[in-house]
Amino acid sequence: MTGKPKDGEPEYQAGAWLRGDGPESDIALCTRVRLARNVQGYHFSPRLDDTEARELRDFVIDRLQKPGLSEKLTIIDLDSIDELERSVLVERHLISRELAASKRPRAVAIDADESVAIMLNEEDHLRMQVFASGLELDGAWQRAERLDDCLIQRVPIAWSEEFGFETSCPTNIGTGLRLSVMLHLPGLVWSEDVERATNVAQKIHLAVRGLYGEGSRALGDFYQVSNQITLGRDEKEILGDVRLAVGRLVKWEREVREALLRGGARVKTLDRIHRALGTIERAQILTSEESLGCLSALRFGIEEDVLTGFRVADVNKALLMSQPGHLQRHSRQVLGPEERDQRRAQLLREVLKIEV
Amino acid sequence: MQYCSACQTAIASVVILDLNQGAVTGSQHLCPACAEQLGVAQPKTPTKFSAEILEDLLGGLKSSGQTARQRTEACPGCGMTPQDFRAKGRLGCPRCYDTFRADLLPLLQRIHEAQSHRGRLPGRIAEAPPPVDDRNLAALRKKLEDAVRGERYEDAARLRDELRRLERGEETRS
Repeated sequence: MTGKPKDGEPEYQAGAWLRGDGPESDIALCTRVRLARNVQGYHFSPRLDDTEARELRDFVIDRLQKPGLSEKLTIIDLDSIDELERSVLVERHLISRELAASKRPRAVAIDADESVAIMLNEEDHLRMQVFASGLELDGAWQRAERLDDCLIQRVPIAWSEEFGFETSCPTNIGTGLRLSVMLHLPGLVWSEDVERATNVAQKIHLAVRGLYGEGSRALGDFYQVSNQITLGRDEKEILGDVRLAVGRLVKWEREVREALLRGGARVKTLDRIHRALGTIERAQILTSEESLGCLSALRFGIEEDVLTGFRVADVNKALLMSQPGHLQRHSRQVLGPEERDQRRAQLLREVLKIEV
Repeated sequence: MQYCSACQTAIASVVILDLNQGAVTGSQHLCPACAEQLGVAQPKTPTKFSAEILEDLLGGLKSSGQTARQRTEACPGCGMTPQDFRAKGRLGCPRCYDTFRADLLPLLQRIHEAQSHRGRLPGRIAEAPPPVDDRNLAALRKKLEDAVRGERYEDAARLRDELRRLERGEETRS
């Protein structure tokens, strides 16, 4: 039941995060649908012992492998790969940090283009994720719904008429649905409007978090907007809430970007973009924080036609490759923080095809 | 009209009767402020939310002897104790939703501003209808909730008894 992600270049082309296409892809990197499900007859994670967890994992894998599923899934036993490989999966958003660090029997099922990932024995027995490039709420939801239908026919899922899908944490009960859109908001950050903008989303109970970095600091101007309410609103209403908030954020970001490239503001904005490019071209040491900031500015410059000769997909790839797990795997060795920062400076130029 | 026997200035509106084997052996007339101060009357309680009344009603569901136990004993499905649940905020099994129902409902209201599900359900997807009892219970609970909201307490009490009967039926079967 083990399988490893393929080695080599082609895998870096895959992944809905990286393609840089899809609706509103100048601002929206990726849409994610997550469904939390538990299997009848088994304890939830806080009460699940290892024997039970192993049995549950093997049972679900067996059912997932029965013919008829539209997704071709590769199953990875997370104990069969090392910590570095697990961190690569975390950076690719295929598994959570918690699942990677967990000591209990666990696995993930991933489809070939990394647009579906089913985590087994996370906080809930099953955490299904569907990814789509850009702002693609309906497409991602429909795919998740089909996958859920298939799953429900194969595995007895815990639910009740009153509470809907029963989850380990009351924050996921009901639909078990968490919709997230990853947004690149340099305009709102640079013009210091981001707090006001995210308040709009929070007013309708959406959470806005930084995509990278710990706590509330959003490194590289990347944000994740997701619903918090899962009970008492059906899937269509939740989709509507997220669509409304994200639509407004996207519109606002476009307006601010335009303003930043007009009149007196323009020269400052151009300066910032070109300085970032200069750093990427010449730096010998790049921390992940500085690298995220530079890549954000570069992405902004490309999307707004300030810079030419770069592909957004390459910037997205650089964002991924400059993270510690990918960086070390690419170098085929474990690197200390200082070595990583040096290696990162070189790797960005490789990925972005910059010759100095 | 009588003045408060404690402060002698305010009008008394609380009457305390001393009872001895059913016979009134004495009385005391107090104003509300003095009654509260003397600890013989509750401070004016805020109007209960319908959810709290509902909780009270549901709290009495599994016969009064079990009510107290329900709040202090572990979940029969997984052994999760109320302390565990409160500390971790996680449930241990599907039965916990019944066991900790009284704690859960206000919590769900705070988190989701709702207490019941709308949306997809496996029963409708897999064409496998849920057990009849479950559906009846949920429907009855819903009716009970409505009755409480509409302040139709007689209906609510009747529905509560009906729910209690159904639950007993379930218990004898399992």
